[in-house]
Amino acid sequence: MFRISVAVCGRGISKMFASSFSGENALPSNLRIPSNLVDRARAKRPPPPSDSSLPVLRRCDAAVPVHLSPVQTWVETLERRDSKLLGLVDLHPDVFAVPTRIDILHEVELWQRNFKRISHAHTKVRSEVSGGGRKPWRQKGSGKARHGSIRSPIWRGGGVSHGPRGPTSFYYMLPMKVRVQGLKIALSSKLAQDYLHVVDTLNIPTPDPQYLMDLIRYRHWGESVLIVDAGEELPENILQATESLKTVNVIPAIGLNVHSMLKHEVLVLTLEAVKFLENKLLWHDERFTPLYPFKLPYTDLP
Amino acid sequence: MSLPFIHRSAMLCRRFRASLNLYDHTTRIPNTTIRLRVSCSVGEANIGILQSTEEYKFVERLIPPSRVPIPPKHDGPSPSGWTPPSELPPALPYMIRRSRMHNVPVYTDLTHGSRKTTLVRKVEGDIWALEKDVNEVTMTLRVKGHFDTELKEWLVEKGF
Repeated sequence: MFRISVAVCGRGISKMFASSFSGENALPSNLRIPSNLVDRARAKRPPPPSDSSLPVLRRCDAAVPVHLSPVQTWVETLERRDSKLLGLVDLHPDVFAVPTRIDILHEVELWQRNFKRISHAHTKVRSEVSGGGRKPWRQKGSGKARHGSIRSPIWRGGGVSHGPRGPTSFYYMLPMKVRVQGLKIALSSKLAQDYLHVVDTLNIPTPDPQYLMDLIRYRHWGESVLIVDAGEELPENILQATESLKTVNVIPAIGLNVHSMLKHEVLVLTLEAVKFLENKLLWHDERFTPLYPFKLPYTDLP
Repeated sequence: MSLPFIHRSAMLCRRFRASLNLYDHTTRIPNTTIRLRVSCSVGEANIGILQSTEEYKFVERLIPPSRVPIPPKHDGPSPSGWTPPSELPPALPYMIRRSRMHNVPVYTDLTHGSRKTTLVRKVEGDIWALEKDVNEVTMTLRVKGHFDTELKEWLVEKGF
């Protein structure tokens, strides 16, 4: 429901508001959207129809619930610059078509930013500032205000009374299932907004970064691309090509996180990465609560 | 009088033996274990360590599974009262999934000491067809009062 509405809004919105410029249905200025906001070239790729002739290269490994059907998307190749579609791929609806909860995405993004944060701001209290043990002048008779030490907070050069105290940690952990749900929602929203591309392998012909930039611009993918592969060993060419590029990055699938997905506009997954992610993310829907931490061995961890 | 005397003498014997280290404190090692052959003499080279992996199965069968098993097939309610979901989902605009332990997701809540509500979770599809006061974002439905048994029976009857 959300996917269809988002797709409809994205495609039809420029058509809806185009007439406002001619003055027929004059909208208030804060609702008027400029015509170059929606990239028309990106709107040319419709989702795969059910009667497409291309073969389905991968079906879902896990059981799909009876009342849902797998989502389908195209499989492309990076070998050539022009966009030749190799086939279709089935994506599990419980990973790639979950209802979009932006509040969970927000929570996970904030957690990712803050749980590693250690603030080293530290100020000295009046007892830590050097000096100030002696009463500066006598209590009565000098004509001056009464003071007990030269380092009290009202003095210049004195200690700070309520300042930051030492390294403070902002560590907290969100429940595992919330973090997993955040990943699923991020993947689903990327697919729904047409920013997800599936690729068969990451083999490119040249280690030239310009080739990748040409490919991205030709296919109208977007500004920044996050490429995800399943294993740790990535092909040499793609590593060299993306090393110097700032907006195109390659990561293994274990490194996938909500912040990176939100930071990069486009997400490119390989078929193995799709299989790995589905396996790992769907396990959380059917697992027991941990008897002991999952780092220790169980019989059937994913 | 004799009983406490025997008791005291047994305790004294135990303490005497413990002080002389007559008890065998080493654990009883069965014959089929990792055999270690370490040479005692200084000049010889170490013969080596033999490792056998046949005993690993005794530990492996103790490691628990991490996934909830699929319940066995029942026609109708099982002896405990649990009813499996129907094979085909009912033809309604909404769908209520089972929890990970294959139960109906209806829960009671007690807030403020006396406020009873019933929560129906995991509702998918058009939940406005179910009830008016519904939370579409979180896919839940809250009803005032404790109706969990009735709701569970009604949902099971429907075939969810």
